[in-house]
Order: sequence, then structure tokens, then C-alpha cells
Amino acid sequence: MLSRVADSLYWMSRYMERTDSILRMLKINYASSQDSPEDFSWEPVLRIFGNLDDEGAAAIDNNSRKILQYIVLDRENPNSVFNMVTIARENARGVQDNITTELWKCLNEFYHVVREERLKYALQYEDPVTVLDALIKECMIYFGVTDITMFRGEGLCFMNVGKYMERAIQSADILDVKLSNFSNEVDKPTDTAYWKYLLMSISGYSLYLKRYQSGFEARNIIDQVLFNVDFPRSVLYSLNQLHRYFERLKSDQNTEGYAKVQFMIGKLRSKVQYSSVESVSLIGLHDYLTEITTEIDDIGSTLNKYYFAYS
Amino acid sequence: MTATDLFHKYPLIGNTWDEMYDEDRVRAHYQNVFNSLSSIPADELSKKEELARGLFMSQGITFTVYSSGEGIEKIFPFDIIPRIITASEWDLIERGIKQRLRALNLFLKDVYHEQFSLKDGIVPIDLIYSCPHYLREMQGVNVPHDIYVHIAGIDLIRDHDGTFYVLEDNLRTPSGVSYMIENREITKRIFPDLIPQNYVRPVTQYPNILYNNLMALSHGQVSSPNVVLLTPGIYNSAYFEHTTLARLMGIELVEGRDLVVENHKVYMKTTAGLRQVDVIYRRVDDDYLDPLVFNPTSVLGVSGILSAYRKGNVAIVNAVGNGVADDKAVYVYVPEMIRYYLNEEPILKNIPTYQLGKPDEREHVLKNIHKMVVKKTNESGGYGMLMGHAASEAEIEDYKKEILKAPRQFIAQPVISLSNAPCYINGKAQPRRIDLRPFALCGPNGIEIVPGGLTRVALKEGSLVVNSSQGGGSKDTWVLAK
Repeated sequence: MLSRVADSLYWMSRYMERTDSILRMLKINYASSQDSPEDFSWEPVLRIFGNLDDEGAAAIDNNSRKILQYIVLDRENPNSVFNMVTIARENARGVQDNITTELWKCLNEFYHVVREERLKYALQYEDPVTVLDALIKECMIYFGVTDITMFRGEGLCFMNVGKYMERAIQSADILDVKLSNFSNEVDKPTDTAYWKYLLMSISGYSLYLKRYQSGFEARNIIDQVLFNVDFPRSVLYSLNQLHRYFERLKSDQNTEGYAKVQFMIGKLRSKVQYSSVESVSLIGLHDYLTEITTEIDDIGSTLNKYYFAYS
Repeated sequence: MTATDLFHKYPLIGNTWDEMYDEDRVRAHYQNVFNSLSSIPADELSKKEELARGLFMSQGITFTVYSSGEGIEKIFPFDIIPRIITASEWDLIERGIKQRLRALNLFLKDVYHEQFSLKDGIVPIDLIYSCPHYLREMQGVNVPHDIYVHIAGIDLIRDHDGTFYVLEDNLRTPSGVSYMIENREITKRIFPDLIPQNYVRPVTQYPNILYNNLMALSHGQVSSPNVVLLTPGIYNSAYFEHTTLARLMGIELVEGRDLVVENHKVYMKTTAGLRQVDVIYRRVDDDYLDPLVFNPTSVLGVSGILSAYRKGNVAIVNAVGNGVADDKAVYVYVPEMIRYYLNEEPILKNIPTYQLGKPDEREHVLKNIHKMVVKKTNESGGYGMLMGHAASEAEIEDYKKEILKAPRQFIAQPVISLSNAPCYINGKAQPRRIDLRPFALCGPNGIEIVPGGLTRVALKEGSLVVNSSQGGGSKDTWVLAK
């Protein structure tokens, strides 16, 4: 496979994963903002997904509508859904002969959806949940079409490598931001709504209720988001998948690059697998999560060096 | 509005061939479509037009226009009423194009080798050496099977009596074939059953024929040749076509930055290291192909690719240097080439053409410029053209000055009126000018022309310019089996 093609597939997939998680996160945060306005702040969301300076952040204040418009539609925000879908589609456009027509059509249609003038109006005046649901549905179509139509080859492996790296980073970031708010008061009587929304934003609420049954405790939430291999958004689950799909790229060529990346992925996966909530608290959650995301970024650079470099 | 209103009061334009009407009678080969369309309520037709637009958009059959930093997707306008060619008309077209291509291929081989036709005075030598597309880098270079023109898109038009004329020979990187294929797919969707009812010949085999021809060009030392399509990239207006052809042939779509030349061999950069490339179907013009030899600022090409080509380590399609044969001044001599190389009479006519490099012809043209179309010999896409009957005096004066600066670079032709075909415009069928570009594929086993082509339409009322860059659209083009 052409390096450029592998590169594009990897980034297309990363951007779509990021789009999906941002949309879900927005939906739940919006619900939360309607629930308990005194306790709720958009600040962490803006911090991870925006690139506003203090002044810009102050300008949209805690206005949910403005924030949704900024994160969904703003042309100037590189992480806006608008821009990410555009980039994902641009990547797909350059590799149409390496993806199925169904997949191309799906991304192309999503691209036309985020460009509709109506969307802006709807976010401003209509029910935002309806709008976000419609966009989330486009993401689900993307994942479904990928699963059903994409040929099981090198291309899909690179897409999955990108997808699970991105997912691990997203889950780590959300955990970091949400829990760091509480860092000094972990023993505070748990704010049920807060935890509930955190879990819902990564679709982990039902699983949590079933698994832990004990009400909301920070240690259980950390356990689920980091280590629960039945939870498809946990960091360990993502790293297992990353490991699995990368191993399929093994071939007689490029043995040096393969060995390097494989080593890094294996090492990181073991590190997470053999951590526990206790060992994490010794290091400190924030520092631990930073180590993980830094190592994932390093894996990305190494992939880039050995697999994607073409110009 | 009742259905028959669609063709009611369809205006026949005087002294012009109408594809559907013979005086006020519908031609036999259009009768079936006439009946079918007439039985469809008018608002249904508008819905079909809307459906067609939606299908083009959602499949991304679009080109991107960049304005204020943001890309806007445009579709190449599509007219829903098909253009129909009878079996006997097609027979003539097919024989005529094959004959012309055989002669042009022989001419290119001749020009870049012994130059018999120049020495025998069939084509003036100075015309060749003054042609910017004549590439001395290609002199003496052998190309596989002596084929230069693997893909041709020869443009045909019809004069007032229905006679076909060759307007120009596109022998470099003709585009539009994806619309031949996609327009047919759209017609299948918007007019169910209409195609089988009319015994329309299929066009879907085009990519297979092209693929087999490309494979046949490999030097034969590898069991599975690596064939790629070289595109200028996603910003090119024909990018959709490049990606469609690559997909339909199952070959890799590459950009210049994906390729590298080492030791006179071309490689592509893959996730498993370098892999040699054997055949390149390039959609990058000669000028941009190799910055070491041609335009040094090009980032679309590959440094050193021409040396690999000259050594025979890679086949390039179409051959490099073909522009010398579709130069608009060299065009004048194609009928003579047919007589010289094939000892046959030309089947398809040339449009009478004046070369402004010749003093007496120049004088005649300048005197009668209102009746002429003047074109630059090395431009295409409808650029740099003067329509004498439509231009203002000031435009003509400016253009005359341009001509006198470099007369060799201009030719003139009498205004040919182009045939009309009915188009669905504002809820009514209205006559608009059309041309025809069939796509001919030349391989070691001969020339094949897929029955169909690109019919371009001048959508502006009264316009004679069909180029997409000048407000043109296209139609599905049917060749009937009987």
C-alpha cells in the first residue's frame, strides 16, 4: 500500500473517531448544563477541544448555544466538527480507490450535512440534542459502513490503528479533565449527577451500573475507564485492539519499523494491563494519564517515520 | 401542464441540423424516447432532474471551486434528455476515427524517428519545429508497440446537413470519459427501463479494455506488472475522473510525490518500502511531468521520470510529445497524412482551416473575420478563442494585434453551426448546440471505441461553445444496437 494512502486512511479514521467522541461528549455536557447550572461548567470542554484564549473563552462565557456553535461549526476552531469532518472527507477523497464507494459516499454525505446552512440555524434556535443526535447518527453510519463494507486488508488495519489510538487518547483526556476537577476532594460525598454524565459521555453508564452496583465512587470510575476490558472505550480495551490490528501489519518487508512500533505498543499495553487503581494513585492520576498519552503520541511519530513518510 | 407540452412549440433553428426533428417530424430513432418522455408529467421530469443532481452530489461526482479559502463542490451540469446516435451513424464514426488514429499514430512515430512525411513535404517542417509541443527529447525514442496515442478523445460536430466533421484531435490527456460512464448510470436511475427498451449499447467495458491495454505495455519481464494512474491530485478539476478510473481498473492512484526515480527506474513509496512501477497512465501534462527536463517549477511530476521512460524501464500513457500531432495547425494536414500513410481517402472530414502563418490565408481571414472562429493552436478548453460573429469591434481589434505578433500560433475556421439537440430547460424541451467526443483506445491488438462518448452541450441559449469551462454541460450518449 502506498505510504500516502496509509497515512490518509489513518488520519481519516482518527478524525472520525475524534468527531464521534466530541459529539457524544457535547450531547451529555449539554444535558448536564440543563440539569445543574450552578455546578456545571463548560470550561473543561473548551480546554480540551477548543483553542480559545482567555478572552475568547470569556466571550462565549458559559453560554451553551454559543459553545455548541463554536465546537460544532466554527471554521476557525481546528477541532470543530465542521473542520474534522472536512479533513476526514478530504483524506478519503484522496484514497477513494482504496476504500469502498459506500464508505466514500457516507463521508461525502456527512460533509454536505455539516455544510448545510440550516445546521447553524437549528443549533441556534432549535433543540440542540436533535441536532447532535443527527450528527452522531452520521458517525454511526460511518462506523457501520466501515465494518460492513471495508475489505479486511492493510487499509482497514491502518484505519483501526488510528481509531484505537485516538480512542485511548480521548478516554484518557476526558477522565483527566473530569477527575482533575475533583482532585482535591475525592472523598467528598459523591455528586451523582456529575459521575453519571461523565460515564454517559463515553457510553459507559449502563455497564457501570451492572458491574459496580455500589453507587458512584471515583476508584470504580477510574477502574472502568482505564482497565475494564469489557468496556469498548476503556484505555486498556483500546490498546488491546491497537496491538491486535498492528500485529496484522507484520510482513517480510519493513521489519525494522514493525519491530520498533510493535515494541512500543506492547510495552504500553503491558504497562496499563499491570497497573491498578492503587498503583495509579501512587503516581497521581494526572501524571499517569499524561504518561500514557505521551507514549501514544510517540507511537504515532514512529508510525509516521517508518510507514507514512513519503515526501 | 399536460405531458405533451414538453415538446410543444419546440423551436427549430434555421440552417441547423436538429438531432431529434426532421422538419416537424420526429426522427425514427428518437420516436421511442419522445413517446416515453411525453408520457411523463412535467413536474415528474423536474423531480428527475433534481434526483440526478442529488446523485451526482452524494457520490461526489464533483469538482471543487475554491473561493475565500473554502471549497465549494460543483457538479458538471447534466441534461436529462439523452442524445441518440443510430447504428449506421456510429458505423461511420467508428471507421472514421479508427482510420484517423492509425494515421496519427504513424505520423507520431515518423516525426520522432525518420521524418519521411516531413522530407516528402506532406507536412511542412517549419510547422513541426515551431510547434511548442514538439519535444526533441523524444527524438529517436522507441515506445512499446510503436503506440503513441493509447487514448484519444476526438471531437466531432455536425454541420447543417448532418455531416460529421472532426473539430479537433485530443491526443494528449483527453478527459471526460468518467462522465460517459456516470451519465449512463444516472440515466438508469432516473429513467427505469428506458435503456433496455431502446437497445442501447453498453459502455461499462471501457475500464476493462483500457486496463488490458495498459498491462500489455509492460516490458514483459515481470509476471504481474505494476500499473498506476498518475494524477495531479485532489485540486485538479478532473480528480473525480482519475479516482473513478483507478477504482474501476483496480490500479493504484498515485501522485507525483508518491513516486521516485532511482537508477532510471520508477518506484512508488509504500508501507513496505519501494515498489517498482511498470506502466503509468498519467493525467499530468508533458510540461509538468519531469521538472528536470520540462517546467522546473513543477511539483506535480517526478524528477528523472523521462530518463526512465527513454530507457524503456517504464511505459507512459499517452506517449510524451503527442501534442505535435493535435496542434491546431498540424490538424490541417491530417487528411493528407491519411492518404500518405494509409493510401485511403479520409472517411471523416476536416473543417476548412486557414493557417494565419501563411500570408495569403491570413489576409483572407483578417478581411472576413466576422465570419470566422479564430483559435490559438496550442490552447484548448475554449480559451483564447475569438468568435467573429459575436465579438465587438474593440475585441476584434485587440485580437488582430495578438495575431500579428505570432501568426503561426493562430488558425481560423468558418463558423460551423453545430447540431441542436433537445434539452430539458425550465420545464420545456429547448434546442441547444452539442458536439460529440467518443473515446478510442489503442492497444497492441488494434483500436477499440466504446459505443458512446461524451456529448457536450452549450447550455446558454444561442451559444456555440460547449466547453465545460465556458458554461457547458453534458448528456448521456446512446448508440443504438439496431
